[in-house]
Amino acid sequence: MADSRTPPDGQAVIIDRGYRHYEGTRTGTGGAIRAIVREGFRRVIGLRRKAKRKLLPWALITLALASVVILVTISWAESQIPGPEEGLGLAPRYRGYFDFISVVALLFAAYAGAQLLVPDRTYGVLNVYFSRPLSLRNYLVAKLAAYATVILSFWLVPQVLLHLGLAALSGEGFLSYLGRTTGILWKVPAAALVYFILHASLSFLAASFINRVGGAASAFLAAALGLNLVALFFQDAVENTSGTRWAALLATEQHPRYVRDWIFGVHENARWIPAQAGFGPEVSLAVVIGLAAVCVMLVGWRYRRLA
Amino acid sequence: MADRGDTASHGPPVIQVAGLYKHYGKIRALEGIDLEVPAGVTGLIGANGAGKTTFIRLLLGLIRPTYGEVSVFGTPVKDDPAGLRARIGYMPEGKCLPLDQTAADFVAYTAELAGIPSSESRRRASETLFLVGLHEERFRYLGDFSTGMQQRVKLAQSIVHDPELVLLDEPASGLDPEGRDQMLDLIGRFRRFGMNVLFSTHILDDIERTCDRVVMLEGGRLIHAAPLQPPGESGLVSVEVFGDPRPFMDVLIERGAVTTLEGGVVTVGNPSGDPYLLVREALEQSGSSVRRMGTNLSRLEDVLVSASRKADG
Repeated sequence: MADSRTPPDGQAVIIDRGYRHYEGTRTGTGGAIRAIVREGFRRVIGLRRKAKRKLLPWALITLALASVVILVTISWAESQIPGPEEGLGLAPRYRGYFDFISVVALLFAAYAGAQLLVPDRTYGVLNVYFSRPLSLRNYLVAKLAAYATVILSFWLVPQVLLHLGLAALSGEGFLSYLGRTTGILWKVPAAALVYFILHASLSFLAASFINRVGGAASAFLAAALGLNLVALFFQDAVENTSGTRWAALLATEQHPRYVRDWIFGVHENARWIPAQAGFGPEVSLAVVIGLAAVCVMLVGWRYRRLA
Repeated sequence: MADRGDTASHGPPVIQVAGLYKHYGKIRALEGIDLEVPAGVTGLIGANGAGKTTFIRLLLGLIRPTYGEVSVFGTPVKDDPAGLRARIGYMPEGKCLPLDQTAADFVAYTAELAGIPSSESRRRASETLFLVGLHEERFRYLGDFSTGMQQRVKLAQSIVHDPELVLLDEPASGLDPEGRDQMLDLIGRFRRFGMNVLFSTHILDDIERTCDRVVMLEGGRLIHAAPLQPPGESGLVSVEVFGDPRPFMDVLIERGAVTTLEGGVVTVGNPSGDPYLLVREALEQSGSSVRRMGTNLSRLEDVLVSASRKADG
């Protein structure tokens, strides 16, 4: 296809590179999904974007990592004070870390969900996506996988650093500490998964219907935090009636915390609204899963209409 | 490096459509289309709302026909829409560019979406942007591009994955005359790359400059589908003059020309030679001034106007 002309000596050569056909292997739908996950990850954390797009995500990531440094430092300071072997308990550890950065994590979850779905619609890129060998279902699965990648990384990478930091400070030795705390290896990911399910459901729902990143993120935050207030209002306004008891289940943001405590074997749950209304943690888990199912249906319906 | 060679209007049809209807509730977007489009560059012309975009979306398998069958490369679209889409490139009419990405990143990404591995995608993106004249600007953000440059990026993403068929929905819309020329030249080159093109527009001149065939839709109905004769092949010249065309025609007839008058346009044929010579002499002798003259422009326009009138009954 290339066309070249050789001029007389001493003159430049003009080469028309033309168009090169592609004969290599094609990765199919799997490759397309991987591309969307990778691109989604980049979009959320602002990679290959202008500097102003990196500010918010990296500020939140820095806060999450800085909190680990703070917690490890406090633990080190505790270890220097004579007292019980497990320290004074001033610094929250694995379970407590979820609460320690809950506001930062909620902001990051809101931002990530909106960034993953809203720009594709507002920029009109869906027209290009769906002209490729990619179904609507694959697109949404890929976006969910991208969300899982960023959100679970946000929860788990600091926890891993915390774990290694605490092991390094442990008086019993690094390896002994790791061996003694193997339960953490499933409890922390399981708790993070519950948070992920709830946050993914609500943020994808908001981002599916609202065409501004800020608006979708705000709607997510309103749903996560505002419903807690509604549940509290019903609980305080009319106590001990069966109708208001069910309103406690509206406290969406508290369900993953209640389930997390259940996973960690903590039974002092009186501070959680669903627990105060007499519901067990398994009910909270069912609410999270049920909410996810409803959100999946609504998001699917919305995108079928768009496509 | 495979070379598919020039596309030409022979061999099995690229697109086959039989008894195609598409209704959106009470709106009848397409009505009983039967069509075969051979290899080459085909213009799809029609006014806004004629059904062009619906037709393209049916070819991509993005929507399903109400009735009828659509096949591309001999495969019914409903049987393997994803497989076919890997062989098709599509340039949407409206906005489709993420303005916060660079041209190189976006085009490479769309190549990956079509199944090209990551490392190869970046190389192909670079080459394709070179081809559309954006090599120097490929690392700039799309939001900083002009409309013409954005149209070129849209074109680049439609061919980066080496499609066999490219569907272009109003590719020259929103461009200034110079940008339009450059865009049409680029599309004209696709033929040499072995790509088949279906090119939707509502501008006749674009079709004449670029296409081998023309398909016309009106109100969801197919009213014309035929090869486009190259300029000069018909031996006819269409002339529109200021004022009364009859003195001009009389001179032409005296000199042995075959003339017809329709809608103020005089079509001139010269059985014994070049019609342009006769036209020049007749203009000089009758003292008429030319408003518009051309070989194919007015002929295609006449064909389509005539077909449209016939369809209207």
